[in-house]
Amino acid sequence: MIDSEREPVERLTELFGNYRAEWLRERIFDLFTQPSYFPDLETKTPCVLVGGRGTGKTTVLRSLSYEGRYALSDKDVALIPSWDYFGFYYRVDTNRVTAFQGPELTEKTWTKLFGHYINILLCSQVLKFLNWYSLLLPDSQTLSSSACEKVALSLCIPAAQTVTDLIEKVDLGRIRFESFLNNLDENHLPRISLQGAPIDELLNEIAALPQFEAKHFFFLIDEFENFTDAQQVVMNTLIKHCGEHHSFKIGVRELGWRKHATANPNEQLNSPADYVKIDIAERLTLARFQEMAAQICNQRLLQSNIFDGSGPKTVEELLPSLTLDEEARLLGLNRAAIISEIANIDAAVFDTMPDLEIFFCLQWAKWNESSIHEVLNERSRDPKKWTDRYSNYKHALIFTIRRGKSGIRKYYTGWRTFVQLSGSNIRYLLELVHRALVLHREAGHSLGTPVSFADQTVAAQQVGMKNIAELEGLSVQGAQLTKLVLGLGRVFQVLAYHPEGHAPEQNQFALADKGLPKGDIIDLINAAVMHLALVRTAGTKLASDEDIKAYDYSLHPIFAPFFVFSYRKKRKLNLSAGQLLGLINDSKATIRDILSSVSEPDAPLPEQLRLFEGYYGSVA
Amino acid sequence: MEALRNRPLFTEVFASPSEFRPRDDSAYIYGLFEERSEHINSWSGTTSNVQAIKVTNQESTVVQTDVPGWETLSLRSSSSIEAFLSSLSAKQIYLDITGLNHHVWAPLVKVAIERRISLKVVYVEPLDYTPNASPRKGEIFDLSERISGISPIPLFTSLAEVEEDNLCFIPLLGFEGARLRYMLEEVEPPGRKIVPIIGVPGFRLEYPFHAYLGNQPVLEETEVWKNSRYARANCPFSLFYVLEDVLKDYPSEHVKIAPIGTKPHALGAVLLAIAAQSRSVELVYDHPKRKPKRTSGVLRLLQYSVSDFFP
Repeated sequence: MIDSEREPVERLTELFGNYRAEWLRERIFDLFTQPSYFPDLETKTPCVLVGGRGTGKTTVLRSLSYEGRYALSDKDVALIPSWDYFGFYYRVDTNRVTAFQGPELTEKTWTKLFGHYINILLCSQVLKFLNWYSLLLPDSQTLSSSACEKVALSLCIPAAQTVTDLIEKVDLGRIRFESFLNNLDENHLPRISLQGAPIDELLNEIAALPQFEAKHFFFLIDEFENFTDAQQVVMNTLIKHCGEHHSFKIGVRELGWRKHATANPNEQLNSPADYVKIDIAERLTLARFQEMAAQICNQRLLQSNIFDGSGPKTVEELLPSLTLDEEARLLGLNRAAIISEIANIDAAVFDTMPDLEIFFCLQWAKWNESSIHEVLNERSRDPKKWTDRYSNYKHALIFTIRRGKSGIRKYYTGWRTFVQLSGSNIRYLLELVHRALVLHREAGHSLGTPVSFADQTVAAQQVGMKNIAELEGLSVQGAQLTKLVLGLGRVFQVLAYHPEGHAPEQNQFALADKGLPKGDIIDLINAAVMHLALVRTAGTKLASDEDIKAYDYSLHPIFAPFFVFSYRKKRKLNLSAGQLLGLINDSKATIRDILSSVSEPDAPLPEQLRLFEGYYGSVA
Repeated sequence: MEALRNRPLFTEVFASPSEFRPRDDSAYIYGLFEERSEHINSWSGTTSNVQAIKVTNQESTVVQTDVPGWETLSLRSSSSIEAFLSSLSAKQIYLDITGLNHHVWAPLVKVAIERRISLKVVYVEPLDYTPNASPRKGEIFDLSERISGISPIPLFTSLAEVEEDNLCFIPLLGFEGARLRYMLEEVEPPGRKIVPIIGVPGFRLEYPFHAYLGNQPVLEETEVWKNSRYARANCPFSLFYVLEDVLKDYPSEHVKIAPIGTKPHALGAVLLAIAAQSRSVELVYDHPKRKPKRTSGVLRLLQYSVSDFFP
């Protein structure tokens, strides 16, 4: 429980600000909420859990581990013998796996060495678990000396008689192997175990122990994308040919599983024959995610103990929303002022029209260089057509109300909006809620009262900006991805500012080039999707991962408030590979080129974008 | 903390590279990948019995040199490096790290120290770093084109099994906040066990402030600025002592050090990794591809007697 003596903001930060799983550490299980797809992970079938950073993969995989289950069961030792499975969590460490490549040895040799390393690693995890189990349940049977000998032989390490001895010998084997990697010599390779054999041997022996009868074992491999291509092939072979007592649960980012073949190039891992694919974004529909997220946030709010006397509030109550018409008024849309602009029209004509529709009539007349009379006539002549048109432009209109004025140009408010901005990413959602509550408190308000619309919007802008800054550090292509987001963001911002002359709410793009895209654009788009700079939706055709042209792309909605465009997936632009690469290499000229079809291809930078004035070459 | 008199420094400072000359009967290993390394041209014709060994290509872990018989040298083979250094038949070896990447000079230092080969490391400070044309918060200088990604520095590969909570992470801060962010993203250390080290005093008076500003967003978000320690930016031995103190504060943790700051600091981290016999210390490095002309001019030349530091 959170210490109630600490300041409310500190308490909030403890629970909402530490949104990375690795920062929460032991508290991760206090705050765990089981997602709807969790039962699928508990079956014996290999699973591949696909999701971006912050979608909860690590938390879910760690909750499947024996340490996680133990914590979740309040450390009740008596429950352990009743568990059906035991999971061993391993996060792929880039600084380890990249040691197994280089010009010094052939790829075939590296593959064998890597296979041996994986044997040592996974056996070591299992032995650690055995140790843990015997410490908590000392009456349980242990591995016989003959079993230990067999495993040692299989691992090509000196003989061991007991589990403790085996753990020690495996450790020494690892150290010896490390020494070899620090003094490579193709002519003096160490003794190498057969890929997968020691793992099978060890688990077969363990499964024969009475306490593990009918139990299953999971290897929970997180950040699978950190393996090199050749290493993924090795792991695929282990997944495909795992023994009867164990299977693998993989956590990987979208597009991070690059190789699906095994050591036999004609053998591929296919879903559902070889594994179950759980795509978090697909499994968690918006409604399901919203429900789960509300549960997570409300649980944390309750634990934070920040409500002074007025009773706990839910996140839905704390984040009220605006309707479009309310937002229009808040942005300064004044019915009387608009009507007064219109000459020679009986004001009674507008009696039944909402303010925003009157504004649209005026704007539509201006955009099409016609008169308000003609627009109103058109409206009466074909009300259905008019209604459709108004419906298409209604949301886009909002972005034009404060044209030429400083301050907030668009509000992003309400729990549902925050959920949509997060793109079903729990980490982003926690950031948004945290930021909104902190701003609310810093403005001197009680945490039991709803957050103002302005504070919600500023919070959304700040979280967007923060995530742009973070992009650069996410991958080796971070700098490129940042420039891509800055370029596309500016394009969509200008299009939102000037909805006239093109389809409203153009905030997606598709690749327009004929023929096969080149390697550099494929790499860029894949990296952008993997690191959540872009999100993709399958176009009209059946899309495979490799065919980047089969998808429509949009910036992740978390960036929408920062750039001030609509987060709703609506209409798309066609962009060429050259234009996308141009956004990175020559942003100013490329942005101008993309916007050349817009009547006024410029727009003042929103205040939060002034930091990039030099980059855009534009003066607010 | 131990008194400074018991913590000697083994640095000789030359006000300008033109004042430096390697001794006779020595070997001087260098690379001309930075303009600052070109000071060698000023004395290479004036010294007797100084064998100049140029690293001509440092793109991979197998480098190329201009030494007959050692046209290629595998940096991942300590035996090969030992044979190479022994073949130089010099009473004193100088290793100019100014123009060499970490993955090249670090294994040479390791083998020299472990095999008790007399080694002095040379470093030339830059006068200026190239500023960024469109600086944003956290991005003041324009130093790296990109990073190649994390992989072990040759001869410093670690396969240690680390408990997630049992990890202390020590980033040696430079100016590039994006590199720190990338490190945190990859290493995922527990939030409370991150100890950043900043070069104070800096090469120039204002550089520590640039280091803070460059890393400000990350330091603020993680609140690890509260754990900051300081070591003279151009002194590997000062850094070594600070690292020793941090290790005492985290006696049972596996320690990961990210040498993403100054080269002298990186050298200090390498020295600690070599010295840490019973402690679990690991170097984590992102191998940036440096921009040409990222620095201009020269300040002082420093000579570090690393062999004397390890009696």
